Amino acid sequence: MSPAPKKTLVVTRFDPDRDAAPRTQRYEIRVREDWMVLDALNFIKDEIDGTLSHRWSCRMAVCGSCGMMVNGEPRLTCKDPLRQYGETVTVAPLANFPVIRDLVIEMDGFMEKLTSVKPWILRAKQLAVEAGPVRQSPEQLEEFKQFSMCINCMLCYAACPVVANEPDFLGPAAIALGHRYNVDSRDEGASVRNEIFRGEGTVFSCSYANECSEVCPKHVDPAAAVNQAKFNAVIDWAKSLVLPRGGEK
Amino acid sequence: MTRPAHPHAMQPSRPGRTRTAPPSLPDRFPFAGRYLAYTLFDLTGLLYLVVGFVVLRAVWALGSGPETWQALREQFTNPLYVAFHLLTLVAVCFVAVRFFRLFPKAQPPRIGPAKPPPGPVIHAMLYVVWLGFTLVFATILAGGLF
Repeated sequence: MSPAPKKTLVVTRFDPDRDAAPRTQRYEIRVREDWMVLDALNFIKDEIDGTLSHRWSCRMAVCGSCGMMVNGEPRLTCKDPLRQYGETVTVAPLANFPVIRDLVIEMDGFMEKLTSVKPWILRAKQLAVEAGPVRQSPEQLEEFKQFSMCINCMLCYAACPVVANEPDFLGPAAIALGHRYNVDSRDEGASVRNEIFRGEGTVFSCSYANECSEVCPKHVDPAAAVNQAKFNAVIDWAKSLVLPRGGEK
Repeated sequence: MTRPAHPHAMQPSRPGRTRTAPPSLPDRFPFAGRYLAYTLFDLTGLLYLVVGFVVLRAVWALGSGPETWQALREQFTNPLYVAFHLLTLVAVCFVAVRFFRLFPKAQPPRIGPAKPPPGPVIHAMLYVVWLGFTLVFATILAGGLF
């Protein structure tokens, strides 16, 4: 049996107490054929260098914790096979985010943007339990289903050139989730979110680079959501001008 | 080494408890990988700015009499001008193809009860409209209309 192949992982390290700026550290390890990038990082953490810090949880592309830049591309490391890369693999924290330590990014900025679009069902009046479930047809479900697959892994933010240059930009995932509720037939909060979408640094800051959709590991199409949200925000604004009570039911 | 992004990119409104390293740009931005097409798309704007000045100059020449207009037409036969116009044509085609590729998915799932046609149909319609306009303008320029 041939020995396991070797790979060199060039990992970004940053200790806020000691380092002025991030640096890189090389780890040469023997890897297994079926390893994902995350497995190699966990091996380094467990067997070679316990000081390495990285986020992960579910290992099955559901929790969205383990997003990192692998060879310069935003990747969910738990579903990114190591064998597709050459002998040297670079692993860095997600681009466009402040770095707390090593591969761990500061995600509070993202959480603020996400909650600002109210990504939950808003209703003018809460329905009584006795009224039963709100029914939804398969066609109505289809309108938002793909956007609800977002796992908040933030890869789209790491790929977006607008996020890199405009700090106020809400960003792809937050807008996609806001839009997801706007087109949900059970929701009645579209006018509230569209008001937010028409503000500074929101949907109209998007220049449609489409990178968010290219890197999404769940095949959500945030670029489509952002650009559909632009259209809906304008229609909503026009309706508010010409219809009584802004077209609200 | 990666280049820095905007220092406040994705910063929370209140600083966290620990010092953080500033955000960095994606390695490949702006001239490598898929970013290249996006950057070129944006850079065509500079070309259109120059085209705008050329159009203004043509309008000024038209208002200045037949001699000035004729002189400008002769300048347009200069190989540099021809190359510039060819480059502009390539840029317009590039922008149109990219826009047509991305346009269908930007359509809302429905407007009231009406649903837009499927993406490939919208895509084909855009090309038909583009071809139609091109033919009409080519006919006008060739003196076939008016």
